[in-house]
Amino acid sequence: MAKQVVATRATVSTWPRLGRQEGLLFVLPALLLFAVFVAYPIVYILRASLLDWSGLGAGTFVGIDNYIQLFREDPIFRKTLRNSLYWTFLTIFPQMFLGFLLAVLLNSKIIGRTIYRAIFYLPAIISPVVIGIVWQRIYDPFGGLLADIAQRWDLDWLSRPYLADPKIAIFSCIAVNVWQWTGFSMLLYLAGLQTLPSEVLEAAEVDGASVIQRLVQVVWPMLRPIHLTLILLGVIGALQTFALIFILTKGGPNNATQMMPTYIFLQAFQLQNMGYGAAISVVLLMIALMSSLFQMRFLGARFVVSE
Amino acid sequence: MSARLTRRRFLGSAAIGATGYVTGLAWRGEVKAAPGSSRRLNAARRQETIEVSFGSWSPIQQTTDKMIEAFTANHPEIKVTRSILNYPEYIVDLKTRAASDSLPDIIGLEPGALTQEYRDFLIPLQDLAAATWGDDWQSNFFPIGIDQARLGNPSGDESFYGLPLLTQTINLWYTVPLFEEAGLQPPTTYDEMKAAADVFNEMGVAPLLHGAADGWQRRDIYMQLIHNIAPGLIYKAELGDGASFTDAPFVEAMTWYKRLFDDKIVQDGALGLSAYPQSAALIEAGKAAMFPMGAWWQQQATVENPPELSQGLQGYAPMKFPDVTGNGAPEDLLGGIDVMLGITKNAKDPEAAFTVVADFISGAAGQVLINTFNDLPAVSGLNPETYETEHQKQVWETFTVDWLPKVKFARQLRDPKVKQALEDALAGVAAGEMSPEDGMAMVQAAWEPPR
Repeated sequence: MAKQVVATRATVSTWPRLGRQEGLLFVLPALLLFAVFVAYPIVYILRASLLDWSGLGAGTFVGIDNYIQLFREDPIFRKTLRNSLYWTFLTIFPQMFLGFLLAVLLNSKIIGRTIYRAIFYLPAIISPVVIGIVWQRIYDPFGGLLADIAQRWDLDWLSRPYLADPKIAIFSCIAVNVWQWTGFSMLLYLAGLQTLPSEVLEAAEVDGASVIQRLVQVVWPMLRPIHLTLILLGVIGALQTFALIFILTKGGPNNATQMMPTYIFLQAFQLQNMGYGAAISVVLLMIALMSSLFQMRFLGARFVVSE
Repeated sequence: MSARLTRRRFLGSAAIGATGYVTGLAWRGEVKAAPGSSRRLNAARRQETIEVSFGSWSPIQQTTDKMIEAFTANHPEIKVTRSILNYPEYIVDLKTRAASDSLPDIIGLEPGALTQEYRDFLIPLQDLAAATWGDDWQSNFFPIGIDQARLGNPSGDESFYGLPLLTQTINLWYTVPLFEEAGLQPPTTYDEMKAAADVFNEMGVAPLLHGAADGWQRRDIYMQLIHNIAPGLIYKAELGDGASFTDAPFVEAMTWYKRLFDDKIVQDGALGLSAYPQSAALIEAGKAAMFPMGAWWQQQATVENPPELSQGLQGYAPMKFPDVTGNGAPEDLLGGIDVMLGITKNAKDPEAAFTVVADFISGAAGQVLINTFNDLPAVSGLNPETYETEHQKQVWETFTVDWLPKVKFARQLRDPKVKQALEDALAGVAAGEMSPEDGMAMVQAAWEPPR
C-alpha cells in the first residue's frame, strides 16, 4: 500500500512537470504571435503616445503632455467621446429590439420568409463605402430620395439637411448603422429562437400566457446569451467605427460626427501628429478593455449563439 | 531534477524572452529607421533588366499602366512596377513603408507639407534634371511648378526633392446649356451671381453646386475669396510675416463664404454632399449651373461613355470666381502642382529612376498622361494629341496659354494643422455654429511659427 502511494506520487510529480515543459513548447508559437501582433503594437503605441512625433524619424519625448492636451484642451476629442456614447447606446439597443421583432416575425410560418430573411440581412454584407455613398444621396436635401418624397407628398419635415446640420448629423449616421446591422441582430436572434426548447414555450401556452407574455417573459430571458453577444459586438463595433463615417461625412461638418478611429486617422496620418494619434489610440484601447471587463464582470461571459 | 529545472527554465525563458524581446524592441524604438544611407546612389548598371518601383495616388491605375507601357516601349531595359492607392490609403502606406525602410523608388507627392515630411527620405533631383534636360531645365516648367516644388524647404535649401508631374488651376465652371436656357452670361460680380442664383433656384437647379462635405472644396472657395480680397496675404499670415489670420480681410472672406449659403447661391445641404462621386454625378446630370472644380474637370470628357454634357466637354466652360470687392476679379488665378514625383534614397539606381520620372513628366509616358486630360502639364508645349471638339481645344488653351502661366499663388497651405483648422472653421461658419471672427480665431489658434 505504501509502495503504491509512493509510486502514484512519483507519477504525479513527474508527468505534470514534463507536461508543463512540453506544454510551453506548444504554447510558444501562440506566445510569439501574441508578442508580435498584440504586445508589440501595444507597447509601440504606448511609447509613441509619449512622443511629439510625426511618425517618421526620431520623436521628442514629451511625457504625458499628449494626454494632458487630449483631456484638457481638445474639444474635438470630447466630441468623439460623446459620439461614441451616442453610437453605443443608439445603435445597440434599437438594433437588438428591431432585430428581435424581425426574428420573431420571420421565425413564424409566413410565405417567403427565406427571401425576407435574405433581404433584411443583405445590408450587413454590403461594403460600408457603398452604403455611405448611397445614403449620402438618400439624405441629400437637394434632389435626394427623402427630399423627393417630401416634395411629392408635401412632407416638408422630411426634407432636412441630415448630414449638413451638425446638430443631427451624428444621429443620421447612427440611423444608417442601425439600418445596416439590424439584419445581423435578426440573424442571431433567429438562430437563438430555433434552439429554444419547444416544451417550455408549449408549457407557457398551456398555462394561458398570451403571445406578448410568452415573448417578454419566456423567450426574451432565454435569449440572454444572444443579447450579451450583441452587446459585446455592438460595443466593439461602436469603438471601431470608421468606414461609414469616413464616407458619409468625413467626420464633419466641423467634426460633429468625428469618432475616435476617424480622429486617430486624421491626427496620425493627415496632420502628421502620430504621437497625439497614438495617445488617442491608447485611450481607445483602455475604453475597450474597461468595457469588456465590465461586461464580463456584470453581465456575464456567456457569449454564445447556441449550445 | 536540476536538469529538469534547467530545461524548464530554458523553455520558459525562451518563451518569455521572445515576447520580451519583441516588446522591448518596440519600447526602445529599434524599428529600422533612416533608409538607405549605406546604399551607393550610383550603383553599377547591370546587364539584366533594372527594376524601378513607383507608388502614388495619382495618376489613376489605368492611366499609370498606359504610361508604363509607353515608357517600356522606349526603355525595355527598365521594368517599372506600380502601386496606386486611393489617397487616404496611400498616405498610410507611405508612412508604414518609410518606417520599415521599404519605400518605392519613386513616390507621388504633394507640394508643401507632404514633401517636407518625407524630405529626409528623398534625394535632390536638380543635378539629375540638369544632366537629363540641360542646365536651363527649369525654363521648361511652368514657373508656379518650380516655385511650389520647393514649398516649405528650410531656409537656404534650394534643392528639388520632387518635380511636378501635373499642374492645375483653381476656378469655377459653368454649365453652358443651363446659362443659355436662362438667357444669362456667366457672372463676373457677386451681385450678378446672386441674381443668377435666383433664376436658377426657380429652375430647380443648384446655382453653385458645392460638395462642401470635402474640406478641400471649402478651402478652394475660401482661397479664391481671400485671393480676391487681399492677394497673397494668406501666405504672409502662414509665415507670421506681418499678418494674422484674425486680420479683417480673412474675416471678410469668411463672411463672404457664409453669404454664399445665406443667399442660397450654394444649394441646400451642401455640407453633407461629397465632391466625388455625389456632386460630380449631379453636375453631369445637368443639375448645377456653376461648380467649383479646377482644370482637372476636363477629364470628364475622356471617361468611357461620358454623359451628354461631358461629351467633347461641350456642356461646360471654365470661369473665374466672381469679384466680391467691387474692384474686379484678379487677373491671375490660384493653382500650382497637382502631383509631383520624388525619388527615394531606397532607389538602387537613381539614374534609372530619374529616367522614369523624366519620361512621365515630358516624354512618351507624359504624352499618354496629357492625352487623358487628367490635369494640366508641368512643362510648357505638351498638349493632347487629339481633341474631340473645337470647344475642348479652346478650353485647354484657356488653361495652358491664358491662365496657367499667370498662376502666382498656391492652392495649398504649408501647415496641415492650419489647413485643417481653416476647413473646420469654414464648415462651422457655414453651419451657423460660429461667427466668421470666431472661425478665423480658431485658425489662428492652430498656427505655429514656421520652424
